[in-house]
Amino acid sequence: MSILLDAAARVLIVGITGKFGTFSVKDLAQSDTKVVAGVAPGRGGQAVEGVPVFSGVAAAVKETGANAALVYVPAVAALDAVLETIEAGCPLIAYPGDGLPVVDAMEMRAAALGHGAHLVGPNSPGLISPGKAKLGFMPSFCYAPGPIGVISRSGSLSYEACFRLSAAGLGQTSVIGIGGDPVRGVNATEAIALFHDDPQTRAIVYLGEIGGSEEYALAEYAKRADAKPSAALLVGRTAPVGKKMGHAAAMIGSYAEGWAAKVEALDRAGVVIARDLDGLAGAAASALARAMEPAA
Amino acid sequence: MHYAFMMLTESRGKALLRAAAVPTPASHELRSLDDVRACAVEYPVAVKAQVASGGRGKAGGIRKASSAPELEDAFGAIMGMTFAGEAPSSVLVEGWLEIERELYLAVTIDGSAGGFCVLYSPRGGIDIEDGPPPLSYPFGLARNFRAHALRRLLEPIERDVKVRERVISMARRLLEVATSNECTTVEINPLVVSRNGSLVAADAKIVLDEAAAFRKAATAAAITASREKAEREIRLCEEANLMLVWLDGEIGLISGGAGMTMAAMDAIDGAGARPSCFLDVSGNPTPAGFALAFDLLDRAPKVKGILVSMFGGGLHTDRVAKTIIEILKTRSSTKPVTLRLNGTRSDIATALLREAGYRNHATLESAVADIVRSVAGVAQ
Repeated sequence: MSILLDAAARVLIVGITGKFGTFSVKDLAQSDTKVVAGVAPGRGGQAVEGVPVFSGVAAAVKETGANAALVYVPAVAALDAVLETIEAGCPLIAYPGDGLPVVDAMEMRAAALGHGAHLVGPNSPGLISPGKAKLGFMPSFCYAPGPIGVISRSGSLSYEACFRLSAAGLGQTSVIGIGGDPVRGVNATEAIALFHDDPQTRAIVYLGEIGGSEEYALAEYAKRADAKPSAALLVGRTAPVGKKMGHAAAMIGSYAEGWAAKVEALDRAGVVIARDLDGLAGAAASALARAMEPAA
Repeated sequence: MHYAFMMLTESRGKALLRAAAVPTPASHELRSLDDVRACAVEYPVAVKAQVASGGRGKAGGIRKASSAPELEDAFGAIMGMTFAGEAPSSVLVEGWLEIERELYLAVTIDGSAGGFCVLYSPRGGIDIEDGPPPLSYPFGLARNFRAHALRRLLEPIERDVKVRERVISMARRLLEVATSNECTTVEINPLVVSRNGSLVAADAKIVLDEAAAFRKAATAAAITASREKAEREIRLCEEANLMLVWLDGEIGLISGGAGMTMAAMDAIDGAGARPSCFLDVSGNPTPAGFALAFDLLDRAPKVKGILVSMFGGGLHTDRVAKTIIEILKTRSSTKPVTLRLNGTRSDIATALLREAGYRNHATLESAVADIVRSVAGVAQ
């Protein structure tokens, strides 16, 4: 199994005629993912790499049975494009773009929740279920199928972290980028719940950072008696207070948003801590080993 | 564009508050000694540095003046200071408030609520961070704000009914400021309860959402103004779509992606050295982007050596290798450079580098150890 995305995915690319859209048509095809439709206003009836293009999402969904959307439009048009996919009945949407106004992220999240849809992003590489399907632009060679569910706030960190996990024989059920912005679609709490309910996910790896409070969701979960074992790597241990480190949400505003407070809370809750990237595979392996122990 | 937030000075923030009918003290903004001498005020007054960063009160940026000569002294002293590296653009002079009590009230973003929250503390002022955390009312979308829900939360901690009701209506106005100007934070600390019981915003910390600049002309103008004031290096990086934050250490770090750049900073720390910057070139990994990165680090005296650490996902590392070989060929600096290009097409990158006489490290850890050793060697 996996979360949200599996081999039954029929992907629709909004903005298919743009640079990212045309790249993704080929890239997803190489990642065993079925791209069934594209959307570009005014370009209905055309085709990109053999994929039919529609002028609107509703028609594309109706004609092709698309059930997952990858939305590549600039921030100025993003809210409207995402609302269109949600209202057309798409149950899963990834919006990878960055530079999205926070109030637009709020509206996207609320609309997705209101329709029972799952939104991944903004400011995220998307979602991949290795060996099954990919809804995003992460480099496929970094991933391998396996029992670990990965949640990441950072795209670049998730590529290298998963590359190292895969090399160590620690494959993944799904890897979800929850994004580097303060307001997001699927958040840490929701991603954890999805992995908790996925029978093939045996352990959870969380890739976090300074700023915000998302990491405390994992600490809360890890305290539960029925929690799956988890490991975490938080980056930004050496970042100064009050400086934004690239991501909009990666800034230490208060003690609780800093590295030490988060690591202490996770450690106390029983999460295996990797102090740096070098220790990640070891931490993940020991979380997985706990999952394999026979129940006492 | 790198996504960020922009803090306004108190004086610009208060203009937004007044536009939403939030009471603020009568004030004069002074930029020169001539302004100070021409300014007719009733003493005593508060004299406040206008900077776009917090913590100025504790740093001596807020003073009391009881006479014209004291005002002149305070003006001169404050304009000669810097706050988190920033020189004040002006000084705000306000009548000294008769304070009954200081409150804390803010509207800001709570990611877990998927939107806005109200924060309130019955004890505001400069020591707010030392006390218990403020009460939080998370409500998400602006249209989901409910006065009765906030009231229920406030009842146990704000016993003064009049103050409580005024705080609730003030919270509604701050939310209006936040939504109409696309702010991520509208914070008033202190929100003063004056002798007659009315609430006055004695300070304003307002942060604009830079991402909204495409539809907010005022935000776009604030970004331009702040770029003009920024350090030359920061400005060059912003224009070239690189993200630079200077740090205190000696290892110049060129990396890709916010998360991996922080991971590399932490790895340098783990090896017993310190990074001199967060420099993310993933927004522009071209010859021009890398040339600027090398130029800045070669010129910075505190940088004793440079580590280039890139993990190629979509990025082709052989292209990066070619770019870096060109730069290293013509570079005049003798600072040591360590390279680590992994990921897409890194076998080709390694071969290209070897032909040109450079080593490509297989892992971040080995590269970090190498540059730390080289820099320690240079220091001896």
